[in-house]
Amino acid sequence: MHIDLKREIRESGPGKTGLIILLLMITVALAAPILAPYDPYQQSTASLLSPSWSHWLGTNQVGQDIWSRLVFGARTSLLVGFGVGILSTLLSTVFGVSAALLGGLYEKVVMRIVDAFIVIPMVIIVILISAYIRPGILTLILLLSLLSWQGGARIMRAQALSLKERGHVAAAKSFGANHFYLAWRHIVPDLGPILLVEFIYGVRRAVFMEAGLAFLGISDPTVVSWGMMMRDALSFSYLNVWQWWLVPTGVALSLIIIGLTFVGHAAEPVIEPRLRGVGIA
Amino acid sequence: MLEIKNLRVSYGQDVILNGIDLELGSGETLAIVGESGTGKTTLGLSIMRLVEGTVRGTIRFNGKDLLALSDNEMQQIRWSQIAMAFQNANNVLNPVYTVLNQIMEPMVEHGLKSKKEARDRAAELLRYFGFPGDRFSAYPHQLSGGEQQKVLLAMAMANDPELLILDEPLSSLDAAARVQVGELLKEIDKHGTKLVATHDLDTASKLADRIAVLYGGKIIEVGPTRDVLSRPRHPYTRALIRAYPNMTTVKDLQGIKGRMARPVSGCPFHPRCTQAIDICRTKIPKLVCNQGRHIACHRGGIITLLSTKNLTKSFGSLKAVDSVDLHIEAGETLALVGQTGSGKTTLAKTIMGLYQPTEGDVYFEGAKVGNRGRDFYKRVQMVFQNPGESLSHRLSVLETVMEPLDIQGIGTKEERENKAIQVLGEVELPQTGDFLNKYPHQLSGGEMQRVAIARALALDPVLLIADEPTAFLDASIQAKILKLLLNLQEQRGLSMLYITHDIAAARKVSDRIAIMLDGRVIEEGPSNEIITAPKQGYTRNLLKAASALRSTGSSGVGQQTLKPPIDEGAL
Repeated sequence: MHIDLKREIRESGPGKTGLIILLLMITVALAAPILAPYDPYQQSTASLLSPSWSHWLGTNQVGQDIWSRLVFGARTSLLVGFGVGILSTLLSTVFGVSAALLGGLYEKVVMRIVDAFIVIPMVIIVILISAYIRPGILTLILLLSLLSWQGGARIMRAQALSLKERGHVAAAKSFGANHFYLAWRHIVPDLGPILLVEFIYGVRRAVFMEAGLAFLGISDPTVVSWGMMMRDALSFSYLNVWQWWLVPTGVALSLIIIGLTFVGHAAEPVIEPRLRGVGIA
Repeated sequence: MLEIKNLRVSYGQDVILNGIDLELGSGETLAIVGESGTGKTTLGLSIMRLVEGTVRGTIRFNGKDLLALSDNEMQQIRWSQIAMAFQNANNVLNPVYTVLNQIMEPMVEHGLKSKKEARDRAAELLRYFGFPGDRFSAYPHQLSGGEQQKVLLAMAMANDPELLILDEPLSSLDAAARVQVGELLKEIDKHGTKLVATHDLDTASKLADRIAVLYGGKIIEVGPTRDVLSRPRHPYTRALIRAYPNMTTVKDLQGIKGRMARPVSGCPFHPRCTQAIDICRTKIPKLVCNQGRHIACHRGGIITLLSTKNLTKSFGSLKAVDSVDLHIEAGETLALVGQTGSGKTTLAKTIMGLYQPTEGDVYFEGAKVGNRGRDFYKRVQMVFQNPGESLSHRLSVLETVMEPLDIQGIGTKEERENKAIQVLGEVELPQTGDFLNKYPHQLSGGEMQRVAIARALALDPVLLIADEPTAFLDASIQAKILKLLLNLQEQRGLSMLYITHDIAAARKVSDRIAIMLDGRVIEEGPSNEIITAPKQGYTRNLLKAASALRSTGSSGVGQQTLKPPIDEGAL
């Protein structure tokens, strides 16, 4: 009956690795002002410097310290990631659970909306909208959340439908409980582990999207972003700057995605216990 | 012939009889039934004018008001026209008189017969009661209790009185003698008028045409014997019958909660009554005639708590519940028996509003149940089939039992906790902090089901729907849970819809049984009738298949259909 998520992750090797990577990244993001010797926006006259003691990873085309930008970029990436993760999971839960509990016309309407969004490729829509409005961090979080809760809502609804038939839910109903009480006290707590897995994948998706949009140059150019850094680095690919400009940024982004994937994968048996023992290749 | 109006008898401050109205026609036998201390004997003594307390009201005997007669005039009537056989044989018989002399005494004293005639009559009576000739000269102390009782009866009948008052006439006799003496009493005194005061329902059913139930000095129900015993309408009468061991009732014995208290304002039974409302505490109910029965109850007797009319629930083309009409009275258990898949649980869930009925309605206390709100769930609760499922694994015992109170928002948190702890005590679970903090997976099956029952009781419901509450438990725990439910019924007057596939268990806990098959109720009636005289073949099969601990053969309902040796009673 009890599914111990912590144990599930702890006992999986990749899960542990993923968790360590994530914690490391979060620490870097939080400690960015300490770790970064320069203001990431501060320009110096010396552009495209090679790594040195004063500029560990050199400077970019406008003379900004690449190490400082890398460290601050983690903030953007994680902020967008976790923001979207939280918001889209919340929306998934609210719509999924309420559809399951209320049923009727409301459920039909919500689920048809979900279907519609799932059919439309999200990446294209995001690119189109972003190119038009050039979203800042907050707008980007909202945009990505609004476009990514649908799949989760479907899972939440399916789970809530099965939880709804549980004896203790029927019992609570027979004490006169309203829908809100049922959802809050009896259904959402049992969704917990699934919420977490949904959340992790939501974060991963958002990190990837944010970097992608910045790479395409359709995000807010005033925000430090790894995607943007890679785009800038690529335009100087004829120089050897890619060694300290492109590679560290790419590695940082990959690490976050890998960390999230590992944790998510380790947590997956929570949804489907039959996956237990199937390791990551 | 005998007409009692507003009779009040009191000893000092103690009011023993409080406004008795009774009529007794010529040749009729009326039994006054009630627990000890209700004033049965006092009533008999009042008619004899032998009562020491203050007597008011009128007792008309053949037109004469006995209470207005002078002592002399009364002396003329007493023993010759109205005679009484006392209850306490030891004190009444004169220890120095032989049996024969004892019986001769009233005849000779009243000068109605010569000594010789009196002797013949006494001998005749004694022989009638089965005394051998050589016992005529025995003294009271040489007689057994039963023989003394027979002597008393013979004494009372010696003068052929018009009205015979019998106080516990058969109580000191064994079962076989009861049948014999009961028959004799009927035969000797075929056309005589009798008033039988007894606590013994069997005596009443053997002797009386009508029964008047006395409680707390008031008559609360009067009606034809058979009707009253088979279909009591006053809660007290039903409780009395439930407490009475007999061969007809199949349900386990149940006591009556509390003790008789005096003096009580309002209805004398209200402190023990489980359907009492405010008016019962303040106003004495009048004995009124209602559908051929006299009942003194503000609520018109036992009320119908819940009923279903044409209730149907379909899942697609499958009619899981098909036009079911059922009713449950206050304080009774209706067992719903049927095999798996017969629609029992669906019916229960439809009543609870967990399913919407396809057709038909549910009525609660006479009113149609529409949208079930908290008020409904406060009064009707359900214990689900599988306690492991119906208890949330996230809630501790205390949180579980408090949940209904939390949802209904009753009282402060502390009050809710206290209530939860109290009901845990009621279902005989520990009330220690250690236990309160346990989670369902730390409990045994029996404990879990008790917690589930406690939770259902936390709101003080009047109707409990118990869906196979013992299906997951072994026999010894099942027995405990069933006893518990019966006790709760006794204490709280809980009505129950008891759902089971096990007719053997149903028979022990239910007043009525309804048999369900393929969504329909195919047979319904008092448990004893369903068990002993099932009308439907399916019911007979159920009975055949029911567990029975027989050593040989499988003769079907054999055990149940065996006539008990004494089965005269209408019980």
